[in-house]
Amino acid sequence: MNGFLAALKAELYVALRSNSARLLVVLPVFIVIARASVVKLTETGQQAREALLGGGDDVTATSNAWGHFVDSFTTGLTLMSLSLVAYAAWSFANDRDTGALRHVLIRRVSRPGLVLAKLLTVYLLALAALVLLSLGIAAITALLWDFGPVVEDGYELIGSDEIRSEVWLGLRLALIPLPTALAFGVLVSVLAQSATQAVTAALGVTLALDVFKGVLGDAAHYLYASFQPSLIDQSYLQDVGRLVRGYSDVMIDPQVLSLNEWVPLPQLALFVVIALLVVRRKAL
Amino acid sequence: MAARQENTDAPLSVTGLNKRYGATPVLMDLNLAVEPAAVHGLVGLNGSGKTTTLECILGMRPFDSGEIQVLGLRPNELYRSEGGVVSIFDSPSLHPQLTVRQTLEHASLLCPRAVRSPAQVEEMLGIGKYSHYRIRELSLGNRRRTSIAQALLGQPGFVILDEPFNGLDAGGVDDVLALISRLNREEGTAFLLSSHQLPYLEQVCSHLSILHKGRIAISDRVDKLFNAQSTRLLVHCDDVVRACAIVQDIPGVQIEDTSEAGLLTLKLDRANPGLINQRLVQKGIMVSELVPERASLTSLFHQITSPALNDKGAERGAA
Repeated sequence: MNGFLAALKAELYVALRSNSARLLVVLPVFIVIARASVVKLTETGQQAREALLGGGDDVTATSNAWGHFVDSFTTGLTLMSLSLVAYAAWSFANDRDTGALRHVLIRRVSRPGLVLAKLLTVYLLALAALVLLSLGIAAITALLWDFGPVVEDGYELIGSDEIRSEVWLGLRLALIPLPTALAFGVLVSVLAQSATQAVTAALGVTLALDVFKGVLGDAAHYLYASFQPSLIDQSYLQDVGRLVRGYSDVMIDPQVLSLNEWVPLPQLALFVVIALLVVRRKAL
Repeated sequence: MAARQENTDAPLSVTGLNKRYGATPVLMDLNLAVEPAAVHGLVGLNGSGKTTTLECILGMRPFDSGEIQVLGLRPNELYRSEGGVVSIFDSPSLHPQLTVRQTLEHASLLCPRAVRSPAQVEEMLGIGKYSHYRIRELSLGNRRRTSIAQALLGQPGFVILDEPFNGLDAGGVDDVLALISRLNREEGTAFLLSSHQLPYLEQVCSHLSILHKGRIAISDRVDKLFNAQSTRLLVHCDDVVRACAIVQDIPGVQIEDTSEAGLLTLKLDRANPGLINQRLVQKGIMVSELVPERASLTSLFHQITSPALNDKGAERGAA
């Protein structure tokens, strides 16, 4: 355990002094803030044009912050998970390429211990990125729009409490597959022969899963990637984005939500176990 | 957590090590032992299996069969020595984005019993002025010094160095040689040095193994190896023909060459050059110069790895 903690400290020491790790933490929030600002500019321009043309009755739907809040999370989590998967894939393989891995293994920690330290480091970076992303999104959406219930023609379609509850559920369900995605990155890192190969393979497979989940039908619900916010998004968070805008045609299948809760977990365990088994016999 | 292994264990014991890459055997029944407080040199031609041997010893590469014990531990358990074993690799295995000081601080985190501070080891290796340089900005020699500095933070019982002199200038080589001698003398640290730089190994090693074609062709104390080799003696004198007649009766002397005027080349097998000089002078031969050419590591290495003697070398290794 002492060796594992020493290895974890050493990994964090390097990560905190690495530009790529810093970029990983701040990039999603910068992109999301930039996106929200552009959306606001576009909206303002559109409203000004409609005001000039005598329209602009439906101001409440666009000025409500909740929709933008959820969209920002969808964008931020997509970016965050892709960049973290790439980092997870790069971390172990790059240290093997440079040989830095050898010092750690000879001096202080077993191979499985080092893989777990790498995985935990990626999780801690993910946590830091998520906290920063959440703060950034809350600040920018509060600054540019107003939070409140969705009201149409004087009727409240969905109240603030219900919105908050749905957003929280959407975020929770969107985050459940993230550890599995990162464990997949570490597994690829252990399997690959070089850092370049690891990053290419991890991103390639992640994007391929994104493409294939659309053609797998119901079978896709047994794939962790189906529940992640992604470029071809099928996550519950995407549905929440529509719910909080007052759309009534959102179909929610409780069975799918239930699968979202547990399906990624055995896959996480599987990826970690394979990585630990492979690393024992791997030439480093 | 396992207790730190005491240095009463032999630093290294390799028995019957076999390793294949695909169908190609690289190490064949390799046996190697490093005694406590020894500085053991491992030499061999390119492709002889030196790096593979070190990687197997350090647990970086699985092997097919055989037994390896490093300070009483198996290769995949070296981390249990808690800094008892350290290694410096052929290419400096460092994080390029860290500075020299950060690299040493990072190594300190992995060193359970640091006895020196990063600043102290920087001074020992003469890299204090590069403390705030990033590793990627350093020359190969200074990267190697940083790599060696990492190993000195603790008090290792056994240090494995793969090509430690590569990229070092003459001053750097002298520093490293002095450091190895000092640690070996003062702290009893055992070393296994793999290098192509035979004259440097000759200066610092107490033991030597020559790895050839996947086997240890010869392994012993350096003084024994050299004593076992014959010494040549060049005798510059005024009458080579008479000198030949005189020295041929001396036991352990063999006449090797008389073709050059005024020069007699002898091969000595434990014969004393002083005795030869005395006999020649007593018989009225004027000896202007006696030049002993002792066996060197280079000559021994060439002898072992010479294609004509390969089979003989392999037989000695097997024996």
